[in-house]
Amino acid sequence: MSKKTYAIAIRDVLREEMRKDPDIFVMGEDIGVQGGIFGCTRDMLKEFGEKRIIQTPISENSFVGLGVGAASVGLRPVIELMYMDFIYLAMDQVLNQAAKMRYMFGGKVKVPLVVRGQQGIGRGNAGQHSQSVEALLMNIPGIKVVCPSTPADAAGLLRTAIRDDNPVVFIEHKALYSTKGEVPDDPEFAIPFGKANLVREGKDVTLLGNFLYHGKALEAADILEKEGISVEVMDPRTLVPLDIDSIVASVKKTGHLVTVHEAHRTMGWGTEVAAAVTEKAFGYLDAPPVRIGAKMCTLPFNLGLENAVVPQVEDIVAGVKQSLSL
Amino acid sequence: MAQKVIMPKQGLQMTEGTILEWLIKEGQEVKAGEPLFEMETDKLTITIDADVSGTLLKIIAGEGAVVPITETIAVVGTPGENISEFLTGESSCQTETKATEEANTEAVPKSVSAESTSAPIVRKEGERILISPRAKKLAEELGLDYSTIAGSGAEGMIIERDVVKAKDTAPKATPLAKKVAEIEGVDLKSVTGTGARGKIRRGDLEASQSKGAAFITSPAERKIVPMRGMRKVIAERMKQSQNENAQTSHTISVRMDEAKRVREALEKAVGFNDIVSFAVVRALTDFPAMNSQIVPEGIWEKEFVNLGIAVAVDDGLIVPVVKDADLMSLREFSAAAKELAGKARDGKLTSDEYSGGTFTVSNLGMFGLDSFVAIINPPEAGILAVGKIEDTPVAVNGAVEIHPVMKLTLSYDHRIVDGAPAAQFLAKIKEYLENPYKLL
Repeated sequence: MSKKTYAIAIRDVLREEMRKDPDIFVMGEDIGVQGGIFGCTRDMLKEFGEKRIIQTPISENSFVGLGVGAASVGLRPVIELMYMDFIYLAMDQVLNQAAKMRYMFGGKVKVPLVVRGQQGIGRGNAGQHSQSVEALLMNIPGIKVVCPSTPADAAGLLRTAIRDDNPVVFIEHKALYSTKGEVPDDPEFAIPFGKANLVREGKDVTLLGNFLYHGKALEAADILEKEGISVEVMDPRTLVPLDIDSIVASVKKTGHLVTVHEAHRTMGWGTEVAAAVTEKAFGYLDAPPVRIGAKMCTLPFNLGLENAVVPQVEDIVAGVKQSLSL
Repeated sequence: MAQKVIMPKQGLQMTEGTILEWLIKEGQEVKAGEPLFEMETDKLTITIDADVSGTLLKIIAGEGAVVPITETIAVVGTPGENISEFLTGESSCQTETKATEEANTEAVPKSVSAESTSAPIVRKEGERILISPRAKKLAEELGLDYSTIAGSGAEGMIIERDVVKAKDTAPKATPLAKKVAEIEGVDLKSVTGTGARGKIRRGDLEASQSKGAAFITSPAERKIVPMRGMRKVIAERMKQSQNENAQTSHTISVRMDEAKRVREALEKAVGFNDIVSFAVVRALTDFPAMNSQIVPEGIWEKEFVNLGIAVAVDDGLIVPVVKDADLMSLREFSAAAKELAGKARDGKLTSDEYSGGTFTVSNLGMFGLDSFVAIINPPEAGILAVGKIEDTPVAVNGAVEIHPVMKLTLSYDHRIVDGAPAAQFLAKIKEYLENPYKLL
């Protein structure tokens, strides 16, 4: 085990995989000398050179498309988007091409593409640079959607993403890059997709959160424990595929479901989880599922206002109590 | 691995089913897709096929047992397997409850749990009971009547902790004692239990009654027909109708000379009942209020006519429904009604074919009745009771003539329809029947 930041955990897996497989290359904006604006490709230009660390102009639609093409002829591109918000520029390449090629070409083409980048709040980057894009991607079949919340999850899931023969959108969080955690040194350490992380066991309520809300869910659980409420905290880790079986098993035990995410509440992944749990465990529910998410408001530039839009720990505590009728 | 066979849910309103016959004996092999047992739901008798292949290791619910849906009724697996986990029945139920109880006491802060009252409450007749699915499931597992439990959840919903609390205060009794108490109408709270931890046993029931009480000693001597399946549903629905509707009725006499003539002209391809029913369909399109239902928002005047036609069957009655009857011709209607009636008598109706009615016609003329009053089939707004056609002396222009006459009695829900429009509706049916060419 080594203690490292979320950003360095990502960089190290990129490096280790590129050393093993010459077909892997990285492409994106400012990833060369600068090493990416969050340092996820730091020092990699020196080691791998300009043929494998390719700097691009500001042209997301083009270089994501280039990645789709390269993947379909046998390379394993990892495309970095400086901000996940910019995936909107490349939506046709991601959702209309990458997501559908393997199916529409009768399985004759594989698309081992990773599109990775950061999203979310924390820097006051305003409405076009602070969004959560995962729910939009979840609605189109053919794309895997990965959301690591810790350095170890970032490392283990990125390795699985790079080795996957299908397109994966690997979403990082800008406010997590500097968080530190233990990461296994094993160069084969990988976390399979579709396996939720049982972060903390509990009996009274199942609380699901990811990214920043992995940590905030734990904070809420600490507060609630002092009041005698035992919270089971889970992190879905991958939204496509979603480990609904583990979530349902937990809700069957607790009878209560609360989901929390930074993404907007309307049609956020919590909505899908709540619906699926209601379908599969209706008879076990002791209260309607509670969904917590950002208000339907463009994320403000002002940091104080940004916090007013996204859920806070006290909102989670209140949501759990609402579910328990306390 | 051994798998349980559960009482399957066969319709939206099904809560329990009766095992009629096991088609595979214990110890015999069964293949997935092969018939496993026959069961009776509220309205149907169905053969259920096995979901999995294996040996039928154990039949838990024997023939005649009335079992709530999803409860385990048998176990299928490989001979020699340990199936004890499926057989625990009452004891496992208690263990689970205990675990839940512990979880709950720890979960709920004392200050809060105090708000949840354990005293039984009385709800108003017909008051909707809000209960969470989890609490309902637990109450059913424990055999608790949740209608008297006070709810401490949002909007007074009964939640798990309320049921746990009620269980602690409910008298504990053996299943046999519970059953006997239910049949005899004995309040278990008045009985002192002598079993383990004060559990009430059957003997305690006898002891608790004044001497000379004749019950229990001779239940075997009485012929008790179980209230189950169709009988139970009819009982519940008729009582519900009487409780909820403001029901009253009108009767009218109809001369059937022309209807007879039309029937002859159609070479008896359509029956009298078809002609009467079809006249009702037409009249319903003229009087949409009679083709309506009370919903929370108000009165829903339905834009389609699904006519129910009551059919007597061996154990009761069933009402197959001719869907979209307003779009049919008389011949089409007659053919559809005939097919459904045949299916009803053979017990082959699917639930879709006996639900969704908007109005019902019930004909008991063949039993020689002049007229009778039928109970509205809820949530419909009315029902028409049809008597026999009889040659009757009628005064026509000062002279007595003999004509075939039939009496129609309309029961209607006065909440929806007033006396005058109900009378006009009935008169409209009469008009169609006395001028049946309008139906062609």
